[in-house]
Amino acid sequence: MTENEMLKKFIKDAFEKGLIEAVMAPSATQDSYTYALITKKEDVDKITPIAPVMQWNGADMIRRITKLKKSERKLLAILRPCESRTYKELVKFNQINPENIIVLTYDCPGTVHARNYKYEPTSSEKLIEDMKSGKISKKVRESCRVCEYPTPIKGVGDIGLGIVNTNEPVFFSLSDRGKEFLAGMEISEGERDDSTWVKIHRENREKWLKEERITGGRKGLEEFLSSCLNCHNCKDMCPICFCKECFFEDHSVFDYESNKFYNWADDKDGIRLPTDKSLFHVGRLIHMGTSCIGCGLCQQACPMDIPLYRLFGIVGDDLQKVFNYKPGVNDDIPPVMDFREDELHEFEGLFGGEE
Amino acid sequence: MTEKKFDPVIVGFFCNWCTSAAADLAGTSRLHYPASIKPIRVMCSSTVDPVYLVRALQEGADATILGGCHPGDCHYITGNYKARRRVAIVKTVLKSLGFEDTRVLLEWISGSEGPKFARVMNDYTDYIKKCGPSEFKYLDSLGGEKVD
Repeated sequence: MTENEMLKKFIKDAFEKGLIEAVMAPSATQDSYTYALITKKEDVDKITPIAPVMQWNGADMIRRITKLKKSERKLLAILRPCESRTYKELVKFNQINPENIIVLTYDCPGTVHARNYKYEPTSSEKLIEDMKSGKISKKVRESCRVCEYPTPIKGVGDIGLGIVNTNEPVFFSLSDRGKEFLAGMEISEGERDDSTWVKIHRENREKWLKEERITGGRKGLEEFLSSCLNCHNCKDMCPICFCKECFFEDHSVFDYESNKFYNWADDKDGIRLPTDKSLFHVGRLIHMGTSCIGCGLCQQACPMDIPLYRLFGIVGDDLQKVFNYKPGVNDDIPPVMDFREDELHEFEGLFGGEE
Repeated sequence: MTEKKFDPVIVGFFCNWCTSAAADLAGTSRLHYPASIKPIRVMCSSTVDPVYLVRALQEGADATILGGCHPGDCHYITGNYKARRRVAIVKTVLKSLGFEDTRVLLEWISGSEGPKFARVMNDYTDYIKKCGPSEFKYLDSLGGEKVD
């Protein structure tokens, strides 16, 4: 029995036992996979719990469901590990009400770029096969190859499904609610060792953090963003960019009299238009970098194939190191919501808080 | 070639209760500070979205100063702690991308510290004069070759 069939059976049983009243999971479309919300047992066969593509971040979809009011039905959400971390982060930001929601996550084989999938379809079974043999498929996205947490983490989400290093997939609980749920399902918890699968990714990540860094200040950044269309797709897809009104969407902020533009062109020996192109990315980094989960959807959404995750992931990693914060893996408060009275003195004054 | 003397533009966001008062005091005490400082009075150092700091840098400033009350003295109790986190984020992002993070300065200057205000402004202007024009303001422009 494949992992997908096993999960479908699990969902059907949960429906029968009355433990859940709705499920949110990916469902195949003509060229891709989108999230689907189903409320009937008969519809379970329409979903594919483990999809080879992540077109949207599932946590962002849950945010839409619970935007106005908590979930009125018992919802089982099937999320990838990065999505479950996003879920946790959005709960901290008060964007998701976790009441009545059970999150199931699993050992992730990675996902294929949505556009590549459209022209070169593959199946999740193939990706899982690669994962079981201990190698990362060449087809998966860059952000998946350098994922820091490709497996379920204790305390993030409720139920985990272990696939690597085990003959039969095993369920285990990640929280007390998950423990209760599994007890209700009469499933005994199993164990598996995921350290090798995590280690491959961490090694990739270390290498990637060193090699792909954007350096060189203005020249480096301009070269990196040279084909940017200023379409703001990266912002739209980012689950952390949840503001109702974005500073950069309000174009009146950048309205000036024509003379202002001419003066700039005088001073700077010519300016490129629109003037807020690179500033948008720097500004977005400042706003969401401390909570960048690493889903890599910014890169997938870029119509010009700019490897944006190298910008947001690597600078985000630097920011998270400053605050000693890992988004979505524990209960720490996000840096932008918190402060200490005695900290960060190296950023005061010109030479690190002397005087 | 005619040598043009570099005259920096420094945008200062000064909190209403401390640093702006210190600027007033420096003025009434007839302490000299350079005209390159362009002060903007804000109600609290934490009202300045960090994006405004980089935006000032991009639109032509060579440096920005965020001035607030000393930690613990904030008129709104905790505003300056939040401002410090935001400046830490801006500086880290600039440094990480390879820009000079000294172009953003965070200073605590209380209302009674007129002499400190004048000294900080003088020192910082001297420092920026030595550093030369900011690279960040040439982001998305055609110019920007280094001039001495």
